[in-house]
Amino acid sequence: MKLRRGSVIALILSPLAVGLILAIFLQSPGVTNPVLRFQIRADLGTLILIAGGLLTASALGFWSFRRRANTRLRMAVENVREEAKGERRRFLRQLDHELKNPLTALQAELAYLAEGVPIEQTGKVLRDMNDQAERIGRLITDLRKLAQIEEQAFEREPVDIGELLQEVVEAVQDHPGLPERCLHLTLLQSPWKLPPVPGDRGLLWLACFNLVDNALKFTPPSSEIEVRAFEVSPWLVVEVTDNGPGIPPEDLPYIFEEFYRGKNVRGCPGSGLGLALVRAIMARHGGDIAVRSRSGQGTVFTLRLPLAS
Amino acid sequence: MEGTHILLADDERGITDYLAPILERAGYSVTVACDGQTALRKVHELHPDLIVLDVLMPGMDGRQVCRQLRAAGDWTPVIVLTRVSTTTDKVLSLEEGADDYLCKPFEPQELIARIRAVLRRKGSGKPGKPLSMAGKLRSGELVLDRKARRLKKSRQVIDLTPKALALLEYLMLHPDQVFSRDQLMDAVWGWAQPVASRAIDVRIAELRHAIDDDQQTTYIETMTGIGYRFMVPVESADEEAR
Repeated sequence: MKLRRGSVIALILSPLAVGLILAIFLQSPGVTNPVLRFQIRADLGTLILIAGGLLTASALGFWSFRRRANTRLRMAVENVREEAKGERRRFLRQLDHELKNPLTALQAELAYLAEGVPIEQTGKVLRDMNDQAERIGRLITDLRKLAQIEEQAFEREPVDIGELLQEVVEAVQDHPGLPERCLHLTLLQSPWKLPPVPGDRGLLWLACFNLVDNALKFTPPSSEIEVRAFEVSPWLVVEVTDNGPGIPPEDLPYIFEEFYRGKNVRGCPGSGLGLALVRAIMARHGGDIAVRSRSGQGTVFTLRLPLAS
Repeated sequence: MEGTHILLADDERGITDYLAPILERAGYSVTVACDGQTALRKVHELHPDLIVLDVLMPGMDGRQVCRQLRAAGDWTPVIVLTRVSTTTDKVLSLEEGADDYLCKPFEPQELIARIRAVLRRKGSGKPGKPLSMAGKLRSGELVLDRKARRLKKSRQVIDLTPKALALLEYLMLHPDQVFSRDQLMDAVWGWAQPVASRAIDVRIAELRHAIDDDQQTTYIETMTGIGYRFMVPVESADEEAR
């Protein structure tokens, strides 16, 4: 039989509680509290035996308690280790996937070229080969970024998020997806300005850029994208919203995992690491990222960054 | 081969755009599907002679497509394009029912060789389940029980290391097909490395010694400068077990 921790403690304490209640009751006025006198006679040998037995019993109790606690701790550590191992295996397997597709395409393109193609077609084949090579390059760059974010020390300086978001919006002005979509930036800074956030400016820029870039990539033309920032003490909140088709509920729990590509976005360009990068950047700043999405209505990504205390 | 129709299903346009014309130049007519559902629909509409399925596709993946076809009694030859090389288990899934597996990345010529081999096997043998679905394989006096991982020759159990057994299994699943040492390394070990392909020679020697190759029958033939080939016809031995 397995007892809960609470019930075990209650069971251990119950004799003391009963004793206490009875003692208080017997001490109260008007209650007969008889005085009992005991006399124990025993030889020294028996007394020593009893004392030794009691000591051994309590030592045994303590030892078995410690042993159980240790086993539990060891099992917990083992579980965490197994989980990490599993995660690493999954990561390597996915990396394998992501690298092998562009490589297969490159090999097919090379074979196609080698068989001899009309001169006017070579330009297109070479461009396609270049695209695949760039895709592998992007993947490797993103992997390096991810490793750096998780491992490297970074400087904290006050970052003006309003200004940073303006820069992100400027940076996507030549994004191929922008002309067909509507992008708004709203900074709620009345009556006071948005307070600065302590952090790494470059990384925060990358996090915001990735979210806006995703919105431009994964929404259909004529979608509306809104970037907004506001203060909800002790956080500074950045939201990137779109009125696209939304993310299927079955994909939602996994979109921040490395290389996870939702059902609707396979075939879209990208390394599959963008949101994993955002999550890692938020974690390093003591913040977090959340997502809400409704099918056919749109998606809201919310970044929360802690303000300087 | 004239008029042989292949359905190529992969969601990666960079691959299908170039693989399809290469297959066409090899003499096949090719239809491309970009996801699992479309592939399934086109199988019903067009009745291709062979299907090449990528594992990861949106909607329904290649393995599901293969399973659905087999469950419906459709035995059109299937080659599955996998991306994960995790040693033997990738090649030998009994339930899926693909005729062959090819690991990405591959050279297009390799795919063409596999397509030819699968079509040849289908053409010569009885129509029906592919060898890959057989729990027991028989060739001459050899019976390989794939589930129990046991080899018998003339009812005598033969001791083999797991890797040698996996190698024999792979060769028996692809009878009369020539494999280079690198290809066998990739299929059985999960990765190919030029210096390590000596390991294949060692295992082949172990296999030959264990099954007394060349005494009466030559099972495994050495193709000098190329690799190895399993020479004796292989069939499923599932029926007789029942």
